Amino acid sequence: MTAQMTAHKNGEVLLKVDDLTVEFDTPRGPVRAVDGVSWQVRAGETLAILGESGSGKSVSTQALTGILEMPPGRILKGTAEYRGADLIQMTTKERRRIVGDRITMVFQDSLSALNPVQSVGTQIAECYRVHRGLSKRDALTKAAEMLDQVRIPAAAKRVNDYPHEFSGGMRQRVMLAMALALDPDVLIADEPTTALDVTVQAQILELIAELQAERQMGVVLITHDLGVVADVADNVVVMYAGHVVERAATAEALEYPVHPYTEGLLGSMPSADLKGQELPTIPGTPPSLRAIPSGCAFRTRCPIAIDDCAAEVPPLLTVGPGRDAACIRRTTLAEKEAV
Amino acid sequence: MIRFVLRRVLAAIPIGLVVTLGVYALVFAMPGDPLRELAGDKPIPAAVLAAKRAQFHLDDPFIVQYLLSMKDILTGHFGTTFAGADIADQLRLRIPVTLKLTLLANAFQWTLGLFFGIYAGFKRNGWVDRSLLLTTLVLLAVPGLVAYFAAQYLFGVELKWFPVSGVLEGFPRSYLLPALVIGVLGFAGLARLLRTSIVETVNADFVKTARAKGLGEQRVLWRHILPNALLPVITFIGLDLAGMFGGAIITESIFNLPGLGQFMFQAIKLKEGGVVVLLSTLAFISFIVINLLVDVLYGVVDPRVRNV
Repeated sequence: MTAQMTAHKNGEVLLKVDDLTVEFDTPRGPVRAVDGVSWQVRAGETLAILGESGSGKSVSTQALTGILEMPPGRILKGTAEYRGADLIQMTTKERRRIVGDRITMVFQDSLSALNPVQSVGTQIAECYRVHRGLSKRDALTKAAEMLDQVRIPAAAKRVNDYPHEFSGGMRQRVMLAMALALDPDVLIADEPTTALDVTVQAQILELIAELQAERQMGVVLITHDLGVVADVADNVVVMYAGHVVERAATAEALEYPVHPYTEGLLGSMPSADLKGQELPTIPGTPPSLRAIPSGCAFRTRCPIAIDDCAAEVPPLLTVGPGRDAACIRRTTLAEKEAV
Repeated sequence: MIRFVLRRVLAAIPIGLVVTLGVYALVFAMPGDPLRELAGDKPIPAAVLAAKRAQFHLDDPFIVQYLLSMKDILTGHFGTTFAGADIADQLRLRIPVTLKLTLLANAFQWTLGLFFGIYAGFKRNGWVDRSLLLTTLVLLAVPGLVAYFAAQYLFGVELKWFPVSGVLEGFPRSYLLPALVIGVLGFAGLARLLRTSIVETVNADFVKTARAKGLGEQRVLWRHILPNALLPVITFIGLDLAGMFGGAIITESIFNLPGLGQFMFQAIKLKEGGVVVLLSTLAFISFIVINLLVDVLYGVVDPRVRNV
């Protein structure tokens, strides 16, 4: 990657995804959910993957961690290297030593993402038992410590409670405790705050940031919420219809969006300046993956599209230091192909 | 927990009254005279007839007969059958027979059902799964009566693997054939239910979480998928167990096992309202108790329904 990430430049690259392409077999033929996606995350860095539902942001991480149902899913090409070892080429057994230990995940809906018939303590302790071989008692003690670390009050008591006995925010903390139990290098948080109300959302994001700082952990934050990106992400990857359309440091992307899609997203954020006016929106809806427009997938909704946009899929080009975008109307400045 | 049990038992009392009254009314409404049925072709002296009629209150109005029967049942004075057998003795002899039969039958049914259900659920669309669907359809299409007689003829009369009928050879030999037939006829439904439940659970979010934790496939299956997939099966097994008495009527009659079902069958034939109501009450009580046990067990397995 030629792009220079502005923050945490010196951190070790922990997870490097390159040209990842995932298809789904459907009764009406294969559908490409993720097309040539590349990104990387360094120690201590928070990388946001921003996109609407169906843009392929979750599928890409599920594919590289091996939890995607395959079939119907299929990885066509690409690599996902954890400290240089390709997760995709690994055997399931080898991958299990990394996923769940060095790379862990948090999901959106904590009520359905936790096993309803096991106490939260048992579920957290399972990490220690499987990956560290601890005894039941030691594992439960460590699970209680973890609950305490994610600031669950009376953790020693609550370790025996079941998921439905926690509130939404507390349950997401339990998920975090489980994901961070083994001190992972990379945390993949898949819409961790989407199901929560705004105040609880802020608390959870703050907690993630604190725990990240303590551990120098790389965080991949999957979200559709630009506000969340602005708050916590160092760098952002914007996805649209399975493609990466823009890649930049968060501050720059928010200040000077290059891709018209990013621009549209920013424009439709409520702000004090727009008080009393109708909130601008991007016209149209995201395309069905079955019928992605030729060339640039965004062109049918793009205010600056020209005939050439239909010709071919615009390549992700470097438009400035640490910035890549895939738009032939905007990448004329310093054309240099980004990898 | 105690409150829960108490509430359920109290709610069962009015239901029990309605059930026994209804059963008694049905027996009362059946055509025919019980004593003449008992005597068959032999003439009975009028005096004997009158004495018997008075003994069993057969000339009292329906509701009086019902109340007298209920009084006998509740006070534990079961009396004798029309034919003169002591009912309490009969129960002592017959309850173990029915228990042995139904428990053995359920053991077969659950073993087969759980084994094939789990196997088909974990290996979806494999040949076991496909043949299970076919087997279910075939078994559902075979009437129980046909299966009992066919099994009796084939394995009892022709192959002589099992005794044809009766309990002379004791437990378990005399019970094996009827229990196997009940088990085989019933296992397919259980297996299908478990299979479907597993298939639904496999796609649950918490299974994804379990995989993301780097757990081995076996651990995911046995620790995360199965405990959740078993929840609907527990309800099914409870209902099945509670309904075992009804199924025993046909099986015990065909295989000539002297259990409660056979007793019930004879009592209905003779219009013996008192015995029928007594047996119905027993069935009802066992139904309530088993359901209660299942609900308590459900609470143990699924923390979400505790204290409900």
